[in-house]
Amino acid sequence: MELLELLNFYVIPGIVLGSIYALGAVGITLIFAILRYAHLAHGDLATLGAFIALAVVTALGVSPLVALPVAIIATAAVAVGIDKVFYEHLRERPKIVTVMASLGIALMVRSVVQVVWGVDTQTYTRGIVRPEDYFGLRIRDRELYTVAAMLLLVGGLQLFLTRSKWGKAMRAMSDNPNLALLSGIDNKKVVMLTWIIAGGLCAASGFFLGLNTELKSMMGWHMLLPMFAAAILGGVGRVEGAVLGGLIVGIAEELSVLVIPSEYKAAMAFAILLFMLLVRPTGLLKGKVL
Amino acid sequence: MSPLLSMENLTGGYGDADILLNVDLHVDQDEIVVIVGPNGAGKSTAMKSVFGLLTIRGGKMLFDGDDITGWAPNRIVQRGICYVPQVDNIFREMSIHENLEMGGFLKKGDLTAAYDRVYELFPDLKERRKTMAGSLSGGQRQMVAMGRALMLDPKLLLLDEPTAGLSPKYMEQIFQICRDVRDTGVAILLVEQHAKQALAFADRGYVLAAGKNRHEGTGAELLADREVAEMFLGG
Ligand SMILES: Nc1ncnc2c1ncn2[C@@H]1O[C@H](COP(=O)(O)OP(=O)(O)O)[C@@H](O)[C@H]1O
Ligand SMILES: [Mg+2]
Repeated sequence: MELLELLNFYVIPGIVLGSIYALGAVGITLIFAILRYAHLAHGDLATLGAFIALAVVTALGVSPLVALPVAIIATAAVAVGIDKVFYEHLRERPKIVTVMASLGIALMVRSVVQVVWGVDTQTYTRGIVRPEDYFGLRIRDRELYTVAAMLLLVGGLQLFLTRSKWGKAMRAMSDNPNLALLSGIDNKKVVMLTWIIAGGLCAASGFFLGLNTELKSMMGWHMLLPMFAAAILGGVGRVEGAVLGGLIVGIAEELSVLVIPSEYKAAMAFAILLFMLLVRPTGLLKGKVL
Repeated sequence: MSPLLSMENLTGGYGDADILLNVDLHVDQDEIVVIVGPNGAGKSTAMKSVFGLLTIRGGKMLFDGDDITGWAPNRIVQRGICYVPQVDNIFREMSIHENLEMGGFLKKGDLTAAYDRVYELFPDLKERRKTMAGSLSGGQRQMVAMGRALMLDPKLLLLDEPTAGLSPKYMEQIFQICRDVRDTGVAILLVEQHAKQALAFADRGYVLAAGKNRHEGTGAELLADREVAEMFLGG
């Protein structure tokens, strides 16, 4: 097989898929670091974000990219609301209680999506988009937008975490929660910020999955395992690790088709997750030990 | 004049068991007060009780005219008490400067004066301000921890075993810094393992054993007490 063919059919789609996973994995890793539990409703929240964008596109007839900011804000608000109504009351209980609750929330959010938008497959735009040719590399515009948006959003987040007062407070809470409290950092505000960021990124993740493929009520749920694999691969609590992990899982899934039947593509994330937990549970960039 | 901090008849513990039993203790303005006692005596617990980090079942905590029993930590910090716990007292994955910034989190406005003050006390830290706190030596970590607690310009500083595991040279340095801090008008309550040195250096001391007050007095008085000497100071 030629190099160009490998790049065009496997690596580029892998990077696009990986960027989509990365957007979700960053939220998962932040929630892990600050709230210290696995959030299983993450995938379905991404589905919700994708469908909110669809609603905006259908109602206003705008381009999907215009709908994205609306979906990000709305999903962030939903995430904060879910935390206030459900998770907040479980904060003092063992973490496994919240993990199970988040599974319930996942089913609930999915049901809402199915009731409101139905169970049929939908798309943001109709028609076939042909890729542009860049020196032999065949790339669609939407693929460029996906990768660029991921880099922009995660880059912005990194700036926020390293430069702003509240971003540093989030890192402090992740690093040493007791000392953060003793420094007078308001735990509730940090938790809220975490949900705003994670919810917003979820919406972006679901949106770009919808933009590059199609919208289905199960789309986010199917991303949950690869997103967790990406977060753990990169090292829990590591934003840049989650991006790296997302890209690796995405590319590995696409490349796996070369050696195993494509129906087993999803097993790739599972294999990576298992391997990583056995060999190096702190992830590629040293994260928290699970 | 009433004391800056006073614990009155304090009883409490973690869960159901009481660790502290009717503890009385006070710290005056501009005073360095040390708590000594055997391992497990409840020294750290007494410190934590100031911040309500355990269940208080009896007695009360007064600070600077307020009854602060049951206050949330951020309110107590705001009111003027800062605390350096015995363990896990730095943000490891943040730089020295960021550790200080978190210490000053509640301060409105510019932190420049606070940074200057802390860096003046700990010149070593200024040179390495971009270094990750987790990569520092034990003595330097302790300085970061103290620096973080001093950013809000507290009226009272609580230090839990600031010299644990440090070489005698570092211990002297930490004690000297405590005196410098006190001279800027900050009272200090500290727990110490090195009982002899600590009693020699502090204004007053308490001996705590099995969660109860056993002795109190000036450093010199306690050092001269035969029972105290036999208990802790190796005869
Ligand atoms: N977080 C905790 N939960 C339950 N018991 C504790 C906790 N911390 C300390 N203890 C118990 O309280 C007692 C006093 O501990 P501590 O105050 O740390 O002693 P000291 O600092 O004097 O060595 C010990 O018996 C210890 O086992
Ligand atoms: Mg102790």
